[in-house]
Amino acid sequence: MSTTYPPDRHLLRDLRLSFEHVDEHTSVAWMPVVPELAARDGSARAGALATLVDVIGGGLAARAAQPDWIATADLTLHLTGAATSGRVEARGRVAHAGRTTVVIEVGLSDDRGAPIGLATMSFARLPRRVDNPDLSDSPTTGMSSMALPSSGLQASLLDEIGVEVVDRANGTVESPVRDWSRNSLGSMQGGAVAVVIDAAAEAASAVGHAGEVVVSDLQLTYLALARVGPIRTRAEVLDARPGVVVTHVELIDTGSDDRVTTIGRVVATTSLRTA
Amino acid sequence: MNSAEEALRGFPNRETGRDVSRYIGVELHEVEGAPGESSPRVVGHAPASDYLRGPSGGVRAGALLTMLDSVGGLCGGLAALPEGWVVSTNVSARSLPVNHVGPLRVDAWVLRQGRASVVTAVTIRDEGQGNALVVDGVLTSAVLVPENGPPQWTRPLSLSPGPPLPAPVPTLTEWLGARPLGADEVEMPLAPSLRNPWGILHGGAVASLVDVAAEHATGGVTTDVVLHFLAPNRVGPVRASAVPIGAGRRADGTVMRVEVRDVGADRVTALAIATAQV
Repeated sequence: MSTTYPPDRHLLRDLRLSFEHVDEHTSVAWMPVVPELAARDGSARAGALATLVDVIGGGLAARAAQPDWIATADLTLHLTGAATSGRVEARGRVAHAGRTTVVIEVGLSDDRGAPIGLATMSFARLPRRVDNPDLSDSPTTGMSSMALPSSGLQASLLDEIGVEVVDRANGTVESPVRDWSRNSLGSMQGGAVAVVIDAAAEAASAVGHAGEVVVSDLQLTYLALARVGPIRTRAEVLDARPGVVVTHVELIDTGSDDRVTTIGRVVATTSLRTA
Repeated sequence: MNSAEEALRGFPNRETGRDVSRYIGVELHEVEGAPGESSPRVVGHAPASDYLRGPSGGVRAGALLTMLDSVGGLCGGLAALPEGWVVSTNVSARSLPVNHVGPLRVDAWVLRQGRASVVTAVTIRDEGQGNALVVDGVLTSAVLVPENGPPQWTRPLSLSPGPPLPAPVPTLTEWLGARPLGADEVEMPLAPSLRNPWGILHGGAVASLVDVAAEHATGGVTTDVVLHFLAPNRVGPVRASAVPIGAGRRADGTVMRVEVRDVGADRVTALAIATAQV
């Protein structure tokens, strides 16, 4: 594992995200929509958008919880439109900051400013540990980006993470936990977890009577960190009708006694490009 | 301050809130978990009563979410003992298209137990339809220590819903006292019978109001709800506003952002995303 975080080649740099911290309770972030992010229909895949949500939501929650620290409890994303070009904007706000939990709401819009979805995240508030990042000196307003001049995806997002489909019919995919997609705690970044679950549901949704569908909703509950890997998914299709597939996905860290690290409920629908 | 912190003010009467269980008719039993499993499991049974059904003929999402909240909440609370008890912080659930026959079996088990929170998985199956899956859900609760201490139960715990309600039993909308305020808003008073043991509006009632608001705004049937409880509803009336997210329409329905306010306290108390099949 790399000693500096994030390393030069890392998910948080190569997505070329940029941020504007508007105030203590509001941030805006942008992510270029590039072909490497594309789902089956050519629009940015839900897992990629969830990564954007995770980054802006985590930043907002960490600030709202100061001097305490946070642990991500869950992330939900509902899409009603597609991001196909330019960049997607995420506008996050602190919906609630209490003594035990922080809740973030993130609105997503496309390059024309049209709303394409809504996401929420909730975080448990934890006592600060000495190894938690200190945000007290970080800027509370202004523009920022972690991208380096050389940053950018060199392959599809799935390939960068290392996702391989093991058993399409059963929605089983596998992925290592690479430095490229680790978070500051050394485990798989929450957005990368969303991408793996997105890929598992996409695989499972391809089988059945639903026709061509893409992931539209992710409802993820984080139970434990995916530290070791390889991680593997276990998927069950709960409902499959024309244009709609609902899948329950569990993410297992096979290197950590097959611990279930995340559960997800994923809805795939007919492409939202025409919505 | 959120629902969790305000609820610390007291746990006045654990019988408060039994009205909600009585209305949905859920009977609860603590059962043994799988071998080696130390966390509690709770199984509930409830009839698919006609008064819980919506215009589509199926049991309404609000009633299903109330069952989920009741059974999952009890499971989380038992897991939090003896140090504390729980209050719901968020729930997510998907209803599947099943022609409900009943009885409905509600299973809750612990996915993660920490000092500050408990995550429970909750499924609802229709025993009258070959155990078909009706709801797949997750309930997250915050662990709190009430001023008078957590409730004392005889274990393993069994709770009866009590005697049947006298006929005619109100529909879910009537039970809430919900009335439309406009094309996208509904409002309900905060009746004492709808409070939970913490003395605040029962999470199932909040979820039911979200369901009613989404259905009122779309004319559809609520199938999917993500609900964050942000603050307790203490004063009332309680109002829910449902607005489509962007284009809103998808193959599985219209996706709405639903905001719940305690009008009397002048604050937002819950945020939900609901999908209603039109």
